[in-house]
Amino acid sequence: MEEKKYETIFCIINAGFSETVMDAAREAGARGGTVMSGHGTANKEAEQLYKITVQSEKEIVMIIVESKIKDEVLKAINKAAGLNSPGRGIVFSLPVTRAVGLAGNQSEGTEKNA
Amino acid sequence: MNQIKVKKPIFRQKKSEKSTSPIKLELLITVVEKKKADFYADLIQSYNANMQLKVLARGAAGSEILEYLGLAATDKIVLLSPVRKDKRDEIMDALEEKFKTIKNGKGISVAIPLSSVIGKQVFGFLADDERLIKE
Repeated sequence: MEEKKYETIFCIINAGFSETVMDAAREAGARGGTVMSGHGTANKEAEQLYKITVQSEKEIVMIIVESKIKDEVLKAINKAAGLNSPGRGIVFSLPVTRAVGLAGNQSEGTEKNA
Repeated sequence: MNQIKVKKPIFRQKKSEKSTSPIKLELLITVVEKKKADFYADLIQSYNANMQLKVLARGAAGSEILEYLGLAATDKIVLLSPVRKDKRDEIMDALEEKFKTIKNGKGISVAIPLSSVIGKQVFGFLADDERLIKE
């Protein structure tokens, strides 16, 4: 059976924008995700100088996707909720060496060169 | 005019300081129902994973998928557990078994390689390597 490779996409975004991220990810082929709450920090002096307020309440969206659609999902999230959007999202992905428990996945050993 | 030449200190890592541990670490990210979090944390810990971080989270799957999977509740816990690479498969096999057999115990788990850890003691703690215990 062909082995599937996975990547974990993380998106750190202003609170309240996780659905925007998930909608974009779903359109690009992702099936689901997990949302965690976080607290961001910024340089206070720079904020005052540039008269910009960085929202400190953040959400971290974690989405596990097949490697072959990773780029599409990253691009879709960046377009919908990237740094130039109100969500001010930072998106990155990390390699997965093995995954278990994913729906519709029977062959989860994915490690080739780790 | 005489110029005083100041030698810049050169920081070089001594050969003896280079990381030579054959033990590699991976970060196990496990997402489970909130009610089952303690059970899975204990399960992972039973494989000598000395540290677990529990983060409150919520699921973001579409309702159709939730229905398909039988996951009504969306309150989740994300368990972050640094584990030894050589123990990873053993732990993930156990998790997979429990995901399939325990009622309302469905979840997902992925392993992500860690590139470096600073501090011998910290590494010893995470890798459960007693040789690195400070006397």
